[in-house]
Amino acid sequence: MSMRRMNRKLQKLTAQLLELPQDVVYDLPRLTMIGDRQLYIENHRGVLHFSSDRLRLALSKGELEVTGADLVIRTIWTEEVFVEGVIKNIEVHGM
Amino acid sequence: MKGTWMQWIRGIVTVRARGGEPEAFVNRALQGGVELWSIRRASGGELEFETTVRDFFRLRPYLKRTSCRIHVAGREGMPFWIVKIRRRVFFGIGMLVFFVGLYLLSSLVWSVQVTGNVRISDEQVLQAAKAEGVHQLQWSFRLDDPAALAKRLAARLPDAAWVGVKKKGTSVVISVVESTKPDRGPLLSPRHLIASADAVVTDIQAEAGRPVAKRNMRVRKGDILISGTLGGDASAPPVVAKGKVRGIVWHEYQIVSPLSEKVKVYTGESKIKWNLVIGGRALQISGFGGSPFATFEVVQREEKASWRGLQLPIGRLKETVLEVRQDERTLTKEEAIAKGIQQAKADLMTKVGADAVVLAEKLLHEKTDNGKVYLKVLLEVEQSIVTEMPLVSTQGE
Repeated sequence: MSMRRMNRKLQKLTAQLLELPQDVVYDLPRLTMIGDRQLYIENHRGVLHFSSDRLRLALSKGELEVTGADLVIRTIWTEEVFVEGVIKNIEVHGM
Repeated sequence: MKGTWMQWIRGIVTVRARGGEPEAFVNRALQGGVELWSIRRASGGELEFETTVRDFFRLRPYLKRTSCRIHVAGREGMPFWIVKIRRRVFFGIGMLVFFVGLYLLSSLVWSVQVTGNVRISDEQVLQAAKAEGVHQLQWSFRLDDPAALAKRLAARLPDAAWVGVKKKGTSVVISVVESTKPDRGPLLSPRHLIASADAVVTDIQAEAGRPVAKRNMRVRKGDILISGTLGGDASAPPVVAKGKVRGIVWHEYQIVSPLSEKVKVYTGESKIKWNLVIGGRALQISGFGGSPFATFEVVQREEKASWRGLQLPIGRLKETVLEVRQDERTLTKEEAIAKGIQQAKADLMTKVGADAVVLAEKLLHEKTDNGKVYLKVLLEVEQSIVTEMPLVSTQGE
């Protein structure tokens, strides 16, 4: 337990020292949004739910919820999603 | 989105999935390396997505595990397109045949034209071209390079100074420039040159043949001057004798010369007519009315306008009408004789040639009678005395 904590601390220290972006270090999702019509999400862990007004994605820790209208997954790879439609709301739960 | 062109080549299948857990199916398929795109919810709540033909057949295990059922909603891309074409196989063949035919027909030589020839006939040129492979219905890709072709054509046409070959689409144009050759002159048969009159030879120059006559030699009419047979050998082929022989010939003339002479005299009366000249046409502008004289002569003088050394097509023409009167003049006997001899000489020159020289003239006899002088003159003339006599071959054919 203490070993893991030590590990984490070390990671954090290196990240601060080298000024690495947080998403690389902690495996966090990175979102790129173009207006309300395009959304590019990296580092997801699979689709939990998809309908034309709601998209829920699993993350390494917690989940991401996108709500809107006429949502379409343009392209999807194991770690990246490209969503189009009218995006109204993005929520992050349980991070 | 209809996918990228790479996907189009592989073939795009639009799939509808219903029942089960479509989200889980998508996750697992992605983990298995299946490519999915354009995922959306259809109006009936079904999950609609697109995938390639190859990946479509790899979907089955994931479907089973997530208990989804699918059906194909649309097909697009090259694989389907090829199948469609295969169904219209004859249409495809026809299209191919059309293009191949068009290509083949346009690569045939349809016409061979010959230009620039005057003495060489078209047939000669075309025959030479045919020997070099240039003819109608020849494949144009079997034709040689035009420059090399022109060179070999020129070798086949010795009378052409230059030959050019030009390919214009389906026609070949052969342009010929003929070489100019000197005239060969008329063909002559073997002959002697013989005397045309009794004469004394003054000069003999033989170009071809054997000179027989010599200077100061008396020759009679018909004597051989330059012989066409060479040497004493009868078997030697005769030649065309050529050369110049001049001799002194005596001509006797009987002349009648009148003692009076008609003379044209201007009376001094005249009339002037002016014309305007435009281009090659004259327009009379003054001096109208018929000629007031019974006998007259017209003298014309044209003046053209010019500007800075440039001749203009405009000018004026002056016509002077001069009255003429015929007068009769009596001649003395001496004048009549001189005139008679002059006429005789002029007549002689037209007969024996302009290069004749009158060496001496002698009045043999004269008589005045009836207003005329009757004369007999002997003219000593140096002139050309050759005439041709063809040699008849004594050898049988």
